Amino acid sequence: MAEVLITVRLPAPATLEAAMRRLDLAEDEVDTAYGLVPVDPDRDLYVLRVTEDAGRRVGDSGGAGVADGGPYSDPPIEPYGPPR
Amino acid sequence: MRVLIQLRPSPDLVAAVADPSVSSMASDVADGLPGVVLDQSYAPVAVPRPMPASPGGDPLSLNQPLIFSMAPQDASVVVRGEIADDEVTSRIALLPATRRDVVAVYADPAIETTLTCAGDPAVGDWHDVERLLRVPDLTSEGLDGSGVPLAVIDTGINAAYVKAARGHDVTVDHERSWNPASVSGTPGDFPVDHGTMCAFDALIAAPKASLVDVPVLLSRRQGGSTLDGLLSDAIAAYAHLREVLDAQPAESRALVVTNSWGSFSPRWDFPPGHPGNYSDNPAHPFNLIVGSLAEAGADILFAAGNCGTQCRDSRCAFPDRPIVGANSHPRALSIGGIDTAGTRVGYSSQGPGRLTARKPDVCAYTHFAGSGALGDGEPDSGTSAACPVAAGLVAAVRSRWPATVLPPAQLRTLLRRTADDRSAVGYDHDYGYGVVDAAGIIAALRRRAAKAA
Repeated sequence: MAEVLITVRLPAPATLEAAMRRLDLAEDEVDTAYGLVPVDPDRDLYVLRVTEDAGRRVGDSGGAGVADGGPYSDPPIEPYGPPR
Repeated sequence: MRVLIQLRPSPDLVAAVADPSVSSMASDVADGLPGVVLDQSYAPVAVPRPMPASPGGDPLSLNQPLIFSMAPQDASVVVRGEIADDEVTSRIALLPATRRDVVAVYADPAIETTLTCAGDPAVGDWHDVERLLRVPDLTSEGLDGSGVPLAVIDTGINAAYVKAARGHDVTVDHERSWNPASVSGTPGDFPVDHGTMCAFDALIAAPKASLVDVPVLLSRRQGGSTLDGLLSDAIAAYAHLREVLDAQPAESRALVVTNSWGSFSPRWDFPPGHPGNYSDNPAHPFNLIVGSLAEAGADILFAAGNCGTQCRDSRCAFPDRPIVGANSHPRALSIGGIDTAGTRVGYSSQGPGRLTARKPDVCAYTHFAGSGALGDGEPDSGTSAACPVAAGLVAAVRSRWPATVLPPAQLRTLLRRTADDRSAVGYDHDYGYGVVDAAGIIAALRRRAAKAA
């Protein structure tokens, strides 16, 4: 299933468990191997990878989400060469 | 953008232009056109007026028998000039309104047919790139990459191959290298591929840089092709690089990050305008972390991409403005490609960029015989090669100029300001501000050092 990204603000030391509690996410909705990744430590901003359904539910673009932002796309990236 | 401007000046001026015994200059007929840099090397040309051959013919139609009048009261004059790329629309609209003698403004497209494209043989070799980047001069200034971590975000590096191809030792910084969770392997010991080419090309200008191996593109997704990762892996890699940067002492802080990859298609992205979109959205987490890492002191370079109009990569699926997402980030340098003859390669993506209009920033060398990592006899090609070539130049600078002394924003400005401009009006969407110029950089750094002394 496609996954999306959501962002959350948490005071340091932030943990994936704390993020999941804040966002009311179940373990099977989160890519725990990816974990909680700091985006901007100066702003206590973190990102996590979640299922599309969970992203829609907790992301802020729907209006009622508790996440700081998202769901954001997680597109594939490829080398720019050699040109084909 | 180069343009042709058609004017209808006074009949005696038209007669003078049409008279081969009289020498005319562009400024004689078109001086003071607002926003236009006239090409004084292009003598004005008189152009006849098409007129209906039969009385009563439609004076505006070209689809009828015509005669062409060179009578001074009928003919017009064409001059050549250049308008800044980001002013083209407004200038073309305003020129006929502000100058009554301006009849029309036309594009003057390049008609060269020999741009280097995919499949073409190499143009020069990596020793030519060394010469063009003035590596001996850089070295004599102490700008050789010593002590500078140079992160190659790619498919992994094979250090033994790079060493054999270069004929010199290669340093891989194992401690600072990093693998995504789904990738196993030892830094510097990955299969020879695209990342090995990037490492080789980065070391041309910075032979003593320490390579930080970050094989993000080896990460796998369900249904993915053989070489691709996910943008989320790049976010995790950048979070690691932030730790690397923050752990350095301020007085020697330096980290150069080269990225020869990007997103080819809008298919997997939310559409532009959607708050979760990547390509056009500075608030996407990857675009945020790129900005955050640059602000913390890293020099970040992205390949502009291989979607140039003359011979675009078949994977390019954006209908226009193919320099997307972080490849057009305001706090990163977007690198276009030229061959060692100094001509833009036909596949190098043209601006404007999506996050920042003025992309690419500068061009660097590509399509030369180099590492051979892409196959026997295959040139190091794509803006994939141009980006690490430019990153090596940045790493060379960093060996004597840490980020605390020359912040990344100032270094980006320095590269743009010293670039060898390829147009008459400064910035253009093919070459950006021009081609990286090591001599100009060295001179500017000398002036800066003298000022600080």
